[in-house]
Amino acid sequence: MWAVLWKDLLIEWRSRDRVLAMGVFALLVVVIFHFAAPAGPAAGGEATREHLPGLLWVAYVFAAILGLNRAFALELENEALSGLALAPGERGWIYLGKAAASLVLLVAVQALAALAFALAFDLDLVPVLLPFSGIALLGALGLASIGTLFSAVAVRTSYREVMLPLLLLPLLVPVLLGAVRATHGLLAEGTVPADALRLLAVTDAVFLIVSFLGFEYVLDE
Amino acid sequence: MSPPAIVARGLEKRFGAAVALRPLDLEVAAGELVVVLGPNGAGKTTLLRMLAGLSRPSAGHLEVGADGSGGDRRARRRGVGLVAHASLLYPALTARENLVLAGRLFGVPDAEGRADALLAEAELEACASQRAGALSRGLAQRVAIARALVHDPPILLLDEPFSGLDPRAAEALEARLAGLHRAGRTIVASTHDLERAASLADRALLLVRGFAALLPREVARSRAALEERYRNGLASPPRLAVGVRP
Repeated sequence: MWAVLWKDLLIEWRSRDRVLAMGVFALLVVVIFHFAAPAGPAAGGEATREHLPGLLWVAYVFAAILGLNRAFALELENEALSGLALAPGERGWIYLGKAAASLVLLVAVQALAALAFALAFDLDLVPVLLPFSGIALLGALGLASIGTLFSAVAVRTSYREVMLPLLLLPLLVPVLLGAVRATHGLLAEGTVPADALRLLAVTDAVFLIVSFLGFEYVLDE
Repeated sequence: MSPPAIVARGLEKRFGAAVALRPLDLEVAAGELVVVLGPNGAGKTTLLRMLAGLSRPSAGHLEVGADGSGGDRRARRRGVGLVAHASLLYPALTARENLVLAGRLFGVPDAEGRADALLAEAELEACASQRAGALSRGLAQRVAIARALVHDPPILLLDEPFSGLDPRAAEALEARLAGLHRAGRTIVASTHDLERAASLADRALLLVRGFAALLPREVARSRAALEERYRNGLASPPRLAVGVRP
């Protein structure tokens, strides 16, 4: 696992193509939301604030899909994926290394997008920074865990850029439900609903276990 | 007498309705060098990838490695090194980093030390810190072989290792393979190059459209005999297998 994580982060550090694409995309989404749904009171700002958690997670999800689409693309050059598949250990550890690398990048992009949201929609995240970070991390874990598995499935198909969102988005419904409800509760009432957190944690655990076990077959030819 | 390194019985691979490899019986002795010959699409790569544990056979029984691992694919992957048609190297990593990564994936205790030793053995120290994407085909092939040897496997599988190499690099590779063979490694290598096949092989496996024939040493070591069998096999693949299976 650590070898794969080290490799992915080192390659990303040298190219920075995934994190840059994800970061710029997330910022563009914030800008578009800002103009489409201005936060000012004259323009129905309260309604916009009600929907801010949803808008934030839409930005996170689309940025994540963009990055996950590239997660296994780098394994296609020189058939490097076969090199990983040759490793004699449990292939689930390879999956965990890839998922951890995607998680690191996603968390960095989440932090950038949250800052942009706070500036664009006049949000004060400082008082709720710790619980907000916890919710974002749990949500990112859900996105990275199942997203890494389906990225590996989609990378060998002809229409992988289209295939990944088609496979992934329906499965992300419980992650989005939990994350949006938890973020809304935190921003609107200052408390995080326990059932939303439970839904997030259980979904993450199920995705991780299923993906760990299923990865052996995903890497088969 | 040591047990065979590779035993295949009725080994078969299908992709949907397409037959990539018809039922094949094959036994490779430990320390033997078998060359796999055949035109494109004959099933050479399919066979090597099954031997490496990358691909599941559709039918049949396969044992690779004389360590009692039987059909366990994880144990099989530990016992083989694969030099695939592509280099399996990450272009953005240096030659050394690629070897260190492979060592860590295979659980080699001192992956850095092993990488340095392999670079020295293959006389690749000068390009150790060059990115794999910047290496010539010949150098990348040498790094790919070092990568396949990182966990010191008893069996080495090579898929068309001479393709794309200039004559000098091909000659050096031939000498390297002969050296590895002399050191006792079991080698199965596919190639189109009959000249090099005849110079290296203990035996040859001829594959045409999924049909197979295992050619004995006296045929495998003679370029003329190899060429004749190859031509006959291309003319009539189904007859290839009749009466010549081991």
